[in-house]
Amino acid sequence: MGDYRKLWESLQMDLEKHDALCAVLPELYDSVYLSQEDRADAMNYFNFVISEVHGLRIEELNNHRQKGGKVVGTFCVYVPDEILNALGVIGVGLCGGSQFWIEDGEKVLPRNLCPLIKAFVGAKISATCPYFQSCDLLVGETTCDGKKKAYEILAEYTPTYVMELPQMKREKDIKDWEEEIKRFIKEIENLTGKKLTYENLKNSIKLINRKRRALKRLYELRKNTPSPISGLDALLVSQIAFYDDIERFTENVEKLCDELEKKVSTLKPNNKKRLMVTGTPMAIPNWKLHHITENLNAQIVVEETCTGTRYFENEVSEEGETIDDLIRNIAQRYMKINCACFTPNEGRVEDIIRLAQEYKVDGVIYYNLSFCQPYSVEYKKVERALKDKNIPLLLIETDYSTEDVGQIKTRIEAFLEMI
Amino acid sequence: MKNYILFPSYNEGLKLASLLKEEGISYTIAPTPRQLSTCCGMSIIYKDEDEDRIKKIVEDNKIGVIGFYTI
Repeated sequence: MGDYRKLWESLQMDLEKHDALCAVLPELYDSVYLSQEDRADAMNYFNFVISEVHGLRIEELNNHRQKGGKVVGTFCVYVPDEILNALGVIGVGLCGGSQFWIEDGEKVLPRNLCPLIKAFVGAKISATCPYFQSCDLLVGETTCDGKKKAYEILAEYTPTYVMELPQMKREKDIKDWEEEIKRFIKEIENLTGKKLTYENLKNSIKLINRKRRALKRLYELRKNTPSPISGLDALLVSQIAFYDDIERFTENVEKLCDELEKKVSTLKPNNKKRLMVTGTPMAIPNWKLHHITENLNAQIVVEETCTGTRYFENEVSEEGETIDDLIRNIAQRYMKINCACFTPNEGRVEDIIRLAQEYKVDGVIYYNLSFCQPYSVEYKKVERALKDKNIPLLLIETDYSTEDVGQIKTRIEAFLEMI
Repeated sequence: MKNYILFPSYNEGLKLASLLKEEGISYTIAPTPRQLSTCCGMSIIYKDEDEDRIKKIVEDNKIGVIGFYTI
């Protein structure tokens, strides 16, 4: 329970407002997470990370910067962590998942925009997120129109670089992305004064592949009936992956998996419905849908989202003789992520059907953040494909407020009765 | 009602956590409740019946704690 006030002050934070944000977390975490029964002991590490979310990790970022290191904030699973890590940069995922920041976001953005964008802009302009305040550079990307335009506003507050993400997946587009990664490397080399080497990049690829493999191992365990870990806990692990120290995180996910592996054989069947969540990302502390769902007779066993399978599926090939080979491998791996900002995006529909079978789900919840156009338009395609396979589907469109919690609960209850 | 141990820094909290693990005493790391302190950071939740044993471990190992609380 260290006193971090001096550190926050040095980051030019609005301490009074930040205090109001801090006040919300302990109670929220207690009611959503600590109230769960039969949690793995190894979740204590993740409890610790959340308890110290604006403390220990911020101190680590600060120490890194004191020693001349750089911190870069990102907003999308397309921005290659391998490059940042290879150049000694700590990358932190900055997407906002709290209603707290919406009001400030709406001061500069239209209200009918997705809450994730409003929250991350609000977090920056209100100076209440120590992660934003610790960044030497923000890296955006041209995914959806909302984010693309929001980076122009963020750039008025802090240095921002935007990567051009292709919107199609032809050979030409994969090549374009490779070139874009090379431009990104130059930008980060300029920021750090370091030069990317084959060795550094290869080691970085290996390190991040290990992290992805650990998460994959965790998800594999969720294929058991019943799953040895709640959807809420698995979601938390995924969310923490975006900003925690890579090696320490990987080690603790492996420890969690070791414990869950032992737990599997002791679990008795329950009659909980197994559900998949597909759609838009859930940034910390957006635990709303999982919390509502798992308080009913259901367990979320897989998330086809950027805070789920899209984050860790597919590894970067470690083969290659030159730095260019490795960069090509990175481009190829990332272009396999099936985000709704691409057209066409058949790969995502195939992923959903494959995951529904692999995880033996009884139904799918299509989670759509309000006003997220790419995902809401893509719903029709997913609906048709799942109907053909007789997989029940429920669309939930919502934001971070708690106003509609009762209504969502009723809809999920009805869905569970039906399937 | 829940029992909390508060620490001057996370280092002390982690030290105690690993000792409790060694001793097979169950505990939960949690964000410090606002009623106990307005500083952010970790605390440890423990069970009533383990209080005496934990207090002894704290004393024997000179773990820095702010205090034991029940709320």
